[in-house]
Amino acid sequence: MIRPITTTAYDPAGGARIDGAVAADLALSLPRMVHRAHEIAASVAYGAHGRRRAGQGETFWQYRPFTNGEAAHRIDWRRSARSDQLYVREREWEAAHDYFLWMDCSPSMAFASSLAQDDKLSRGVTLGLALADVLVRGGERVAALGLTAPISARDIIDRLSRALYDDARETACGELPLDAPLRPRARVVLISDFLCDLDALASRLRRFADAGVAGALLMITDPSEESFPFSGETLFLDTDGGPAFHAGDARTLRAAYAKRFEAHREAVREAARAFGFLFLQHHTDRPAAEAALALVMGLHGIEEEL
Amino acid sequence: MGGFSFAAPLALIGLASLPFIYWLLRVIPPRPREIVFPPTKILRELQRAEETPSKTPLLLLLLRLALAAALVLAMAGPVWSPSGTVAASSAPTLVALDDSWAAAPSWERRLSAGAALIESAARSGAPVAVMTVSETAAPTLSEAARALEKLRSALPKPYFSNRRAAADALAAFARANPKARIIWISDGLAQGEAGAFAKALSAAADSGARVEVLTDDHAPLALAAPANDAATLGVDVLRPDASAPGAATVAAYDAKGRIVGRTSVAFGASLRARATLDLPVELRNDVSMLRIEGENSAGAVALLDARSKVRRVALVGGAGLDDAQPLLSPVYYLEKALGPFAQLRRARPGAIDPIQTLLAERPNVMVLADVGLAPGDTYDALNRFVEEGRALIRFAGPRLANASDDLLPVRLRRNGRVLGGAMSWETPKSLAEFDATSPFFGLSASKDVSIQRQVLAEPDPGLAQKSWARLSDGTPLVTAERRGKGLVVLFHVNADTSWSNLPISGLFVDMLKRICAMSGESTPLPGDEAAATAAEPQVLAPMKTLDGFGVLGAPGPSAQAIQAHFDGPASAEHPPGLYGAGDAFIALQSLRAGDDVTRFDFQSTGLASTALASGAPVDLRGALLAAALVAFIADAVIVLVLSGKLRLRPLAAAAGAVIVLVAPLHPQDARAESDAKPIAVQRDREAALTTRLAYVVSGDAKIDEVSRSGLEALSKALSMRTSFSPGDPVGVDPAKDELAFYPMLYWPIVATAPQPSAKTAAKVAAYMKQGGTVVFDTRDALAQRPGDAPTPETQWLRDFTKGLDIPELEVVPQDHVITKTFYLLDGFVGRYASGETWVEALPPDPKEQAARPVRATDSVSAIVVTSNDLASAWAQDKRGQPLFPLTPGGARQRELALRGGVNLVMYTLTGNYKSDQVHVRDLLERLGQ
Repeated sequence: MIRPITTTAYDPAGGARIDGAVAADLALSLPRMVHRAHEIAASVAYGAHGRRRAGQGETFWQYRPFTNGEAAHRIDWRRSARSDQLYVREREWEAAHDYFLWMDCSPSMAFASSLAQDDKLSRGVTLGLALADVLVRGGERVAALGLTAPISARDIIDRLSRALYDDARETACGELPLDAPLRPRARVVLISDFLCDLDALASRLRRFADAGVAGALLMITDPSEESFPFSGETLFLDTDGGPAFHAGDARTLRAAYAKRFEAHREAVREAARAFGFLFLQHHTDRPAAEAALALVMGLHGIEEEL
Repeated sequence: MGGFSFAAPLALIGLASLPFIYWLLRVIPPRPREIVFPPTKILRELQRAEETPSKTPLLLLLLRLALAAALVLAMAGPVWSPSGTVAASSAPTLVALDDSWAAAPSWERRLSAGAALIESAARSGAPVAVMTVSETAAPTLSEAARALEKLRSALPKPYFSNRRAAADALAAFARANPKARIIWISDGLAQGEAGAFAKALSAAADSGARVEVLTDDHAPLALAAPANDAATLGVDVLRPDASAPGAATVAAYDAKGRIVGRTSVAFGASLRARATLDLPVELRNDVSMLRIEGENSAGAVALLDARSKVRRVALVGGAGLDDAQPLLSPVYYLEKALGPFAQLRRARPGAIDPIQTLLAERPNVMVLADVGLAPGDTYDALNRFVEEGRALIRFAGPRLANASDDLLPVRLRRNGRVLGGAMSWETPKSLAEFDATSPFFGLSASKDVSIQRQVLAEPDPGLAQKSWARLSDGTPLVTAERRGKGLVVLFHVNADTSWSNLPISGLFVDMLKRICAMSGESTPLPGDEAAATAAEPQVLAPMKTLDGFGVLGAPGPSAQAIQAHFDGPASAEHPPGLYGAGDAFIALQSLRAGDDVTRFDFQSTGLASTALASGAPVDLRGALLAAALVAFIADAVIVLVLSGKLRLRPLAAAAGAVIVLVAPLHPQDARAESDAKPIAVQRDREAALTTRLAYVVSGDAKIDEVSRSGLEALSKALSMRTSFSPGDPVGVDPAKDELAFYPMLYWPIVATAPQPSAKTAAKVAAYMKQGGTVVFDTRDALAQRPGDAPTPETQWLRDFTKGLDIPELEVVPQDHVITKTFYLLDGFVGRYASGETWVEALPPDPKEQAARPVRATDSVSAIVVTSNDLASAWAQDKRGQPLFPLTPGGARQRELALRGGVNLVMYTLTGNYKSDQVHVRDLLERLGQ
């Protein structure tokens, strides 16, 4: 017999339980996420390490022979005097970016079906923290959007998780990233299920793009949200407090739903593309390290492009 | 056969509502499942497709319909009547109940069947009458409650009820109520005029009555003709037909209700079988009642009275016994006559004083055949014997006729009289009929008996009262007199055939039997003064009577006294039981000796009998309502599960918990068995994987602990010093554990331990034969004295090894390989150094060869016996400190003890390998060349 798919959800701000699942909130599951984030960051850092290469910066990187056509002021005379060849002193590329991470902690994220490994919220937070660690190791400054200032610290995971913990109640409500003032050339990483109002999302992205900010969107999806594996008479309860939806036979809705969901995802993808954001997708039945690696490589790609 | 009936059949109309319920259920679906789903917003944006509500699952639908149907049926009040209840009618009903003892075993079922009939009649408002076949009054119709009351008060009778009067009453009833319904609850036996009753029933049926016959399948068994004869206690067991059980068990009870003996009897093909109880006479005389086990009826009980006690009779003849001509000896005739019912005691031939010798055996009756008694010790002893309440029977003869002792009921005249001889005018006399006052009354005075010669009594006053038997001319033949509590009886003839042919007549046996039965009785005899005045024959009042179920109790008001030799059947006036007073009572059985029990053939009378079904009508309302409730709960659970409110997993866990709770109810031993086996298997597996030392568990915890710690220390030393790393030592019980895994078994002898069973000894012997070595340690080196008796431990070991095939042993010689397997040792010391160590003797040294430094057999010695208490010397505590002081003592001795242990183990493991090693140098030299 095929076991019917069950779903669980909890209130990320802490409080009453939404469903029959064990009451949980963000604060309760943070230590586990932090631990997972460390693990993922460690594995991803090996997969794609930072940009140890020549570039703009102040610390010495290497001497290289002068090539014709270069500006003469770049010649390091002190080094060149020691031999017959002309050398150019290169400094390490120190293009430290400010990365602003936003992890959606709205109630719709605190959801897992029996098909998933993890609920979307903890998966998102774990990925965000792991990404922060990887970025800090790569020499970047990382901030939680609207919560902390960009900082490059080895214990960035702990700092961010502390910030999330302290502000769990405030951050748990917003479906959209805060409209925080950002410096130009800052990077924004938005991790969410993007089951929000598309227009609001587009306008928020537009504001980021106007401020000269680029970044990436990671859409976290529960497998049940995509495949809609329900049948029979079902009452669907909204996590965000909307009216419940009664389906006479959920199976008949499957095709229409899949189409509609795909359209929604395409709209998000289109909005991201329009404003120069990278769009990535992650399912919670897949390992988290996979998404982390994709995210890191994707951000790397953005740097290459710019 | 049985039937349903409904108290409120109109309620069944409610069943018509089922289709409506069906339609309703089809329309109204179950509660939907609830699913939390974040993209519900997206769902809401979908345009509504057509929404057919999902259908109620078919199983749920059926369950609910069944629920509704059960409720409707319960409203209708269904009643299940197991006994044959036909459609109710308001015709008057007569329930005729057989109440002989044969109905007793199934009495409750009969009553409940009757009650069911009355109740069903009451439901249809018919008047009811109840009659038991033993009563003669005409049945009267009454309301059901009164009839029930009468039915409930009926009790089975302990005899065959005569149904003739009941048949007449029945015929009268049938005439008065021609359309009546008549039910005969029959006991199935033909006895008691069943034919007449059946005829009356048939007649009633012909005149329009509805007649039913109910019988029980149970075949009543009965006991008849109990007899306690000289050899065995026997009783006839009767069964009505061949379909009855083929075997029965008869138990014998004493007066206090204790079971004295029990025997079973098989009928084979016959309907009558003789059950015999083979018990000692003393026990048999204690038996007061026989009863068929499992049959609680009066017929299954046989009572034993004083008459059926076996008497011990001592026989003394005046003349020396002449074995060559036994027919001339009076004792021979007496033996033949008394043998069937009494236990005879004869004096040894050549006994100096046979009477005194036999009196010492305490007989009940002493028979002296033609013995004259002179005053003296014997006379006094006999006098006491009689006065204590025993019977003395004397026979006349030439010696008695001329003797003059007074242990006789009458004075005798010198010389007797001869009748019909050559010198006489008179013809031989025959016996006169017995007086009513005589104990012999009832026996027929056979005309064939003729008396040729007799001794004559002096015509003293009272002679007539003392005479129990007379000749046809009135001269007394048998006289008797009370002496103290006892009885002296004189036969005026001798006991052989020379004076009369009485001894070879059947009457003789009966007379002796009656006299024996009177021995020990304290009933007044007819010869006594008190009874002499009573003109009518002696009557015995009922003392205890049986009821229909076979229980002895106080006699009922209708019970009347019987005469001493009453021979009629048991009846209402004379219910079976005990009659008389004190110890002198006689028993009246339910069945006479010749009675039979036979199944009544209903077919021949045109009546059809149906089996009696037990049980009152069952009201099914409760069961239906309970089923509806269960269905309701099941429905609620299913709905909850279907809507996702209730997960199945907790349900399964709950079911598991129930199973776990129920599991301990399994039989304890089964679990213990299943537990013990894996443990033993596990240990055997470990022992097979890791070689380890083993000791035999002695049962003394202290010694076992010493053995264990000693072997542990030895194992440690072995793994430190040698390449052998044994596992932890293990204690084994040779009786239970498999020994094959252990190369060496250390066996400390405990003298107080019980000797192992022969099976265990065989197991140990097999272990030794298969290459195992047992180190017996008697631990008694200090107690041993050369030439002294063996110590208890040594004796124990000797007793044990007696059953084993032990080869010749010798004290370990200096050149034995066991002294060289690892260390070079002189001997094996333990806690003591003085004891010898014995191993299997080596074959003698071959003389022709040069003396070898080491000798060995091909195999390892299967037995090593030491008295030095090795384990105590090895034993260490956890910190490696020795546990016991040594004698004489010293670190060197401890080290030597350990080395001895190492050598022992290496010997058991390597065998004679070291005896070859001494040649290594030679071999190497040879290889070098």
